[in-house]
Amino acid sequence: MTPQKAFSSSIGSKFLIALTGVLLFLFLVSHLAGNLLFLLGPDAFNHYSHALISNPLILVAEVGLVAIFLLHIVKTVWIVVANRGARPERYASRKWAKTKNPRSRKTLSSTTMIVTGTITLLFVVTHLVTFKYGPYYETAEGIRDLYRLQIAVFSNPGYVAFYLVAMTVIGFHLWHGISSAAQSFGLDSPQWTPRIIWTGRILTAVITVGFALLPIFTFVVGRN
Amino acid sequence: MPMTMKLKVWRQAGPGQPGRLVDYVANNVHAGMSFLEMLDVVNEDLIRKDQDPIAFDSDCREGICGSCGLVIDGIPHGPDKGATTCQVHMRRFKSGETITIEPFRAKAFPVIKDLVVDRTAFDRIIAAGGYVSMNVGGAPDANSLPVAKDVADHAMDSAQCIGCGACVAACKNAAAHLFTSAKITHLGLLPQGEAERDRRVVRMVDQMDSEGFGSCSNEGECEAVCPKEIPISNIARMNRDFLKALVR
Amino acid sequence: MSLDSRTPSGPIADKWDRRKFENKLVSPANRRKFQVIVVGTGLAGASAAASLGELGYPVKVFGIHESPRRAHSIAAQGGINAAKNYRNDGDSVYRLFYDTIKGGDYRAREANVYRLAQASVNIIDQCVAQGVPFAREYGGLLDNRSFGGAQVSRTFYARGQTGQQLLLGAYQSMMRQVDAGTVSLYQRREMLDLVVVNNQARGIVCRNLVTGELESHEADAVLLCTGGYGTVFYLSTNAVNSNVTAAWRAHKRGAFFANPCFTQIHPTCIPVSGDHQSKLTLMSESLRNDGRVWVPKQQGDKRPPAQIPDADRDYYLERRYPAFGNLVPRDVASRAAKSVCDEGRGAGDSGLSVYLDFADAIKRSGVDTIKARYGNLFDMYRRITDENPYQVPMRIYPAVHYTMGGLWVDYNLMSTVPGLFVLGEANFSDHGANRLGASALMQGLADGYFVAPYTVANYLGGTSLPPVKASHDAFGAAKAAAQARIDKVLQVKGKRTVREFHRAIGTICWDHVGMARNEASLTDAISQIRQLREAFWQDVTVPGDVNNLNPGLDYAGRVADYMEFAEVLALDALERRESCGGHFREEFQTPDGEALRKDDEYSYVAAWEFKGVGAQPQLHKEDLVFEEVHPTQRSYK
Ligand SMILES: Cc1cc2nc3c(=O)[nH]c(=O)nc-3n(C[C@H](O)[C@H](O)[C@H](O)COP(=O)(O)OP(=O)(O)OC[C@H]3O[C@@H](n4cnc5c(N)ncnc54)[C@H](O)[C@@H]3O)c2cc1C
Ligand code: HEM
Ligand code: HEM
Ligand code: SF4
Ligand code: F3S
Ligand code: FES
Repeated sequence: MTPQKAFSSSIGSKFLIALTGVLLFLFLVSHLAGNLLFLLGPDAFNHYSHALISNPLILVAEVGLVAIFLLHIVKTVWIVVANRGARPERYASRKWAKTKNPRSRKTLSSTTMIVTGTITLLFVVTHLVTFKYGPYYETAEGIRDLYRLQIAVFSNPGYVAFYLVAMTVIGFHLWHGISSAAQSFGLDSPQWTPRIIWTGRILTAVITVGFALLPIFTFVVGRN
Repeated sequence: MPMTMKLKVWRQAGPGQPGRLVDYVANNVHAGMSFLEMLDVVNEDLIRKDQDPIAFDSDCREGICGSCGLVIDGIPHGPDKGATTCQVHMRRFKSGETITIEPFRAKAFPVIKDLVVDRTAFDRIIAAGGYVSMNVGGAPDANSLPVAKDVADHAMDSAQCIGCGACVAACKNAAAHLFTSAKITHLGLLPQGEAERDRRVVRMVDQMDSEGFGSCSNEGECEAVCPKEIPISNIARMNRDFLKALVR
Repeated sequence: MSLDSRTPSGPIADKWDRRKFENKLVSPANRRKFQVIVVGTGLAGASAAASLGELGYPVKVFGIHESPRRAHSIAAQGGINAAKNYRNDGDSVYRLFYDTIKGGDYRAREANVYRLAQASVNIIDQCVAQGVPFAREYGGLLDNRSFGGAQVSRTFYARGQTGQQLLLGAYQSMMRQVDAGTVSLYQRREMLDLVVVNNQARGIVCRNLVTGELESHEADAVLLCTGGYGTVFYLSTNAVNSNVTAAWRAHKRGAFFANPCFTQIHPTCIPVSGDHQSKLTLMSESLRNDGRVWVPKQQGDKRPPAQIPDADRDYYLERRYPAFGNLVPRDVASRAAKSVCDEGRGAGDSGLSVYLDFADAIKRSGVDTIKARYGNLFDMYRRITDENPYQVPMRIYPAVHYTMGGLWVDYNLMSTVPGLFVLGEANFSDHGANRLGASALMQGLADGYFVAPYTVANYLGGTSLPPVKASHDAFGAAKAAAQARIDKVLQVKGKRTVREFHRAIGTICWDHVGMARNEASLTDAISQIRQLREAFWQDVTVPGDVNNLNPGLDYAGRVADYMEFAEVLALDALERRESCGGHFREEFQTPDGEALRKDDEYSYVAAWEFKGVGAQPQLHKEDLVFEEVHPTQRSYK
């Protein structure tokens, strides 16, 4: 099988989606770690972001990230369309089979991946406009003062609310996404699968809560 | 005490033709009847009125041939866990209840008539590699190759698939992953199936895709409706085998 | 006229080798010049198609089901016999041969049965190599159990789904040939006629059940593997679409029908619960290994079973057959159940059932052990009856299960129409008057994997077969006849449904040609069948289209054939004035009620030649010669 064909097969496609999904997840982890420096005050945060922005490798990383995002999006959208096409005529009545046998893993999260994904996409665009391409403040040292920007943004309770909603949505995406990716990679064993599912959910909770704390914290700091 | 059921049944004259839900009343239904026997009774009435009876498939009527398969109130094979449509009994329902009956729906399972669909895509998936390539006459003594009991039992768990297609019907993507992975797991676990492992998975998955089934979002609804409760851990194994085959 | 079975001469153990050596061969390059048709995809059909395809013959395979894997063989539960002697308990090819001849009550052809026992060994090897997941022991080797009262453990099994696993093995091998291009599938096709040209089977006419179109397919040999006719009784353990149609239409074209009255009634089935029932469910025979069969001693004792003390119970099998007890052969167990129920001692509301009690077994081995052994079966029973067999004894009653009779075939499995081979349950060959448990699967696979490939080659290689095209007149005529019959049934436009007629013919057969038969009742049955047939053609109604999927129309055709077939079933039972195996004539029994064979008069195969509907068929006899096993009265005391 040619690589091209392999990666457009159902399993190959899902492999790519899982791979890009996990990479995006890893980005989120590191992004969260970096953002948590906000808690240490303006200097730590600004220096960290300056170090990032001024690193020549950042361009490579950004291009890579964009590519990963695009691949994830292209593949998921393509697969969702194909999946819809696999059932042209809908059922008149539909009930989750989970109701008869709890062994199903279907959740609200698993059924809304495309919705939560799309919202995430919209969020990321707004988010980039707000921050990356947002107002340019400078510190006394002459580097970009993202600390101030963040305080400015989240002094608006509307932004805070928007971020909280967005974080919940992303949490939904990952609630199913992480363990699902493990299954797509073919990771499975009787002992490990339940643990993978729970680990995925715990990581999701950590990330979501972690991210959600930032706007709230910033809002509070900005108030004082 | 005979029961009366209100039915909404999908009627469709032929492939590609428009269909719709039609209301029927089933009188004289007994608790001990199977779901299909209830439909037999409805059909007897229709025939006496010189109307076209409702077409549905069935043969063994004991849960093994995989012929029957209806979506009953939105769930393939109806409300009983680990059962086929023919094993559902009317004592499961209350008199006067309305039951919606639809065919298994998937692009790869076109409706032939009413509740009868064409699942021959499954045969083509098997033809693509769901076997051990050995000719009659060439077999060594059956006991020359020991197989650990738990491995054989595990293979049997997957080999039990009856090819009913409920997994496809239940999956939001109409994916045939559970069916395909059941065969890959059955043969992949046994030493007899080892030699063709890579070729088998690549060819079967390729055939599965070209039949127009969807892909797997790892929801596990298939496992929940599967009359043989075949687990989606088989799908993980199929994914693993497929990916391994690509790098080998 | 006496029929020639074409059995090879020589010592029994060498006959098959000798025949294989004498057989003509077809060279690999020439095989693709012959077209073979296989009708039916059960164990017999699928295995034959797979092996012929592997050899390089172009094979067309037909079946009424959506997929070949749905053939009725899929439902077999218990297991498959083979003389492997893996248990070191004294089994051998000869013993399996002996047991089968004796079990068949000395009405089977010795040479065939011996070959069957020989092939049994290869079948297991073949199936294991295909990946059939038979049950194994902790050491990794194959497990065996004793089945159906055999005194050795020679039954291989795959949980309660042996038939399924064997069929899937054969089906997969066949699908491999589909992929290789040697086998082509024609599913949802019903064979409606055999085309005979110059006294050779040269093809079939079948109906595409989806489009209604009649199709002609020419061939150099036709293999009929269409299963048994148990559904003539309406209620049976067989799949509901099982039918005699293909065999019957071949019969009408000259294939003799042998021993139709040899039908098997299985003792352990879930009893009938009402009119609505469309089929009966078998509870595996293995249950008799642990369950004890009883009825109340007192007539009309309607106390719940738990309240009947041991002293008031009659464990009638243990009482009457101390040596075999609950494990007596099927025919004996069935008849015993019938007789206690006839005495008014039956259990349940209908009085037509006996208890199969696991209380002692549960006490002895514990619930968990019993659950491990029979959990699936208990669940199945509970699902159907809504009774919990762990607490209340199961209720069982005999039901029609298997048909030993079928189209007559010679040692080469060829019928009286040259070029028409008959395999599996559709032929009459190996089980005599009663089939032992776990031997139908063995026979189907032996026929398909190990016999037909040789004998069909011999026929093809040794026969002059002038080319015949589907445009030949014989095809046209067969098509016209098939069409006429379809039109006729549609034109009746009466008032009664096909199912009503099926139920009616089933009731006649069950009441008169069932577990106990006698002269008067059989004579009566024949006239009732004739009347019913008349009524059918005057009063049946079949709505729906001809040129669309119409299961009701297919059903009508099958029931119409049963209307004709039932007559020869009853006639054969009438003409066999002895009791043997599944055929019990009340006039012929020993003082203690056992079957009384009459070897001097009836040691033959009755093969019937069709002479027209309603006309007396002509009887041909194939005398059975017993060189190895001397017929004795079977005793299971
Ligand atoms: C419940 C049950 C349990 C059993 N358990 C055992 C067991 O444990 N051990 C054992 O040895 N035996 C068992 N048997 C018996 C055994 O299963 C059958 O005898 C055997 O499977 C018959 O196989 P076959 O290939 O001859 O025919 P079948 O499997 O009956 O196949 C018939 C085929 O013919 C096709 N066909 C039929 N009519 C037509 C037509 N008109 N035109 C075209 N195609 C047609 C069908 O589509 C089908 O493919 C059991 C039987 C039953 C009912
Ligand atoms: C930070 C961003 C994102 C992360 C971390 C992420 C992560 C994941 C992960 C881990 C999966 C599971 C893969 C699998 O089942 O194998 C997944 C699936 C999915 N993602 Fe994302 N994703 C992100 C953004 C998006 C976006 C922007 C979209 C859409 C437009 C999207 C749409 C989907 C869809 C539809 C699926 C399900 C595919 C399927 O199984 O059918 N995701 N994602
Ligand atoms: C509360 C949560 C978040 C805060 C406070 C936050 C903050 C920031 C800040 C300050 C930047 C600017 C960095 C720069 O321009 O160098 C940034 C960039 C970015 N953020 Fe966030 N972020 C949050 C959540 C998220 C989430 C959930 C995602 C993804 C789904 C995300 C994706 C990105 C991306 C893709 C960039 C651009 C990175 C780059 O170009 O290097 N952020 N974020
Ligand atoms: S996997 Fe289960 S649901 Fe799917 S075809 Fe097999 S038995 Fe049916
Ligand atoms: S329901 Fe569908 S999404 Fe996968 S796990 Fe089953 S095939
Ligand atoms: S009819 Fe065979 S599984 Fe239901």
